[in-house]
Amino acid sequence: SSSPRRSCPRASGPLSSSPASHALPLSRQEQAQGTVLKVLVSFKSSEIEQAVNSLDRNGIDLLMKYIYKGFEKPTENSSAILLQWHEKALAVGGLGSIVRVLTARKTV
Amino acid sequence: MAYHSFLLEPISCHAWNKDRTRKYGSTISPLCLTGIDWAPESNRLVTCGTDRNAYVWTLKGNVWKPTLVILRINRAARCVKWSPKENKFAVGSGSRLISICYFEQENDWWVCKHIKKPIRSTVLSLDWHPNNVLLAAGSCDFKCRIFSAYIKEVEERPSPTPWGSKMPFGELMFESSSSCGWVHSICFSASGTRVAWVSHDSTLCLADANKKMAVASLCTETLPLLAVTFITENSLVAAGHDCYPMLFTYEEGQGTLTFGGKLDVPKQNSQRGLTARERFQNLDKKASSDTANATLDTLHKNSIRHGLQISVLVGGKANCSQFCTTGMDGGMSIWDVKSLESALKDLRIK
Repeated sequence: SSSPRRSCPRASGPLSSSPASHALPLSRQEQAQGTVLKVLVSFKSSEIEQAVNSLDRNGIDLLMKYIYKGFEKPTENSSAILLQWHEKALAVGGLGSIVRVLTARKTV
Repeated sequence: MAYHSFLLEPISCHAWNKDRTRKYGSTISPLCLTGIDWAPESNRLVTCGTDRNAYVWTLKGNVWKPTLVILRINRAARCVKWSPKENKFAVGSGSRLISICYFEQENDWWVCKHIKKPIRSTVLSLDWHPNNVLLAAGSCDFKCRIFSAYIKEVEERPSPTPWGSKMPFGELMFESSSSCGWVHSICFSASGTRVAWVSHDSTLCLADANKKMAVASLCTETLPLLAVTFITENSLVAAGHDCYPMLFTYEEGQGTLTFGGKLDVPKQNSQRGLTARERFQNLDKKASSDTANATLDTLHKNSIRHGLQISVLVGGKANCSQFCTTGMDGGMSIWDVKSLESALKDLRIK
């Protein structure tokens, strides 16, 4: 059965015979998610607050969306650092920024 | 400020009479009353409810006599407002339309006309423009709209306004672009040139007809707001799930909305509440996510709920000196603007 979120159907030709045949082409949205998560996880704890303070209101809202998307798809140790990002973003954006993650029509 | 407690049941709506000496609550009908409004000049009430009807109440001696108004809707009515001249009232409903009701002298009954297009979901809130014709409506389809509710049977053609000159019945004069939340409450300024609304995505927006209907919006740091009113042409008070009213200021020159401060002073410094990380740590240590900070330090212990519009008591929307809030905790508070200004040093009401 095909996963509705994959943008390409499962290829049965060359792709399936290669060693990385389980790695299907990702949609652009998933690529963006992966990139942002890699960036967030690469920060040192001490650097997070400064990064958050450099964002404007829209930036904070967007960050919150990516944080929650990151929680949805945890990788090894990602949740721990995301919790730190969450704490700092919440301090600036308040509960309103979380509300807007829940009500957003466009997901990240 | 004064706090009154009516602990029996939540007050689901309130209405004030002309000299603000009497407050009418929703205990009269066994059915779920969703909206009530008092016409101060003619001393009549209008109510609407989940029974899909509206009633106009007139005082005969000591008794209120209801007159049924058929709204021709197949879902619950949600909100009702008398027009400024009190010769019409508007009802918003789950039928995704607005019923504009007026009295037909020849047949001695109330009739209604419908405004439907392009409303796509329940109408949660209504407010009339001072010209008695334009009506603002907030809906669950995430939009704020201004319609003409011109009824030629009861009034003269309206003169042009900054919202437009042609106002046939049902004409859409303004429609906001989609926010991401149900529009809980909507309010015209006293002059009618501005309209403000609050949505479930924790935003406050304002459209200024004098600036070609440009919309200023503010993403708040709070839980969603449920009620909003102008207290001057530039200042708004709003309240919602955070249980305290707050002040917002509109800067016309820059076209911006800013947060002006909380209007409820907690008894002690309330902590922010646990961060997500602390919650997980507690879960780890004590096998419970401790909610020790759950008690609210605000005057209202429960949401200042939809249907309990913040009401201006004294001074009108241009120069309000007293306003009233009601909450799901069964309480009603009266707020004095001058006292708030002197008590909260950074408060500036423009």
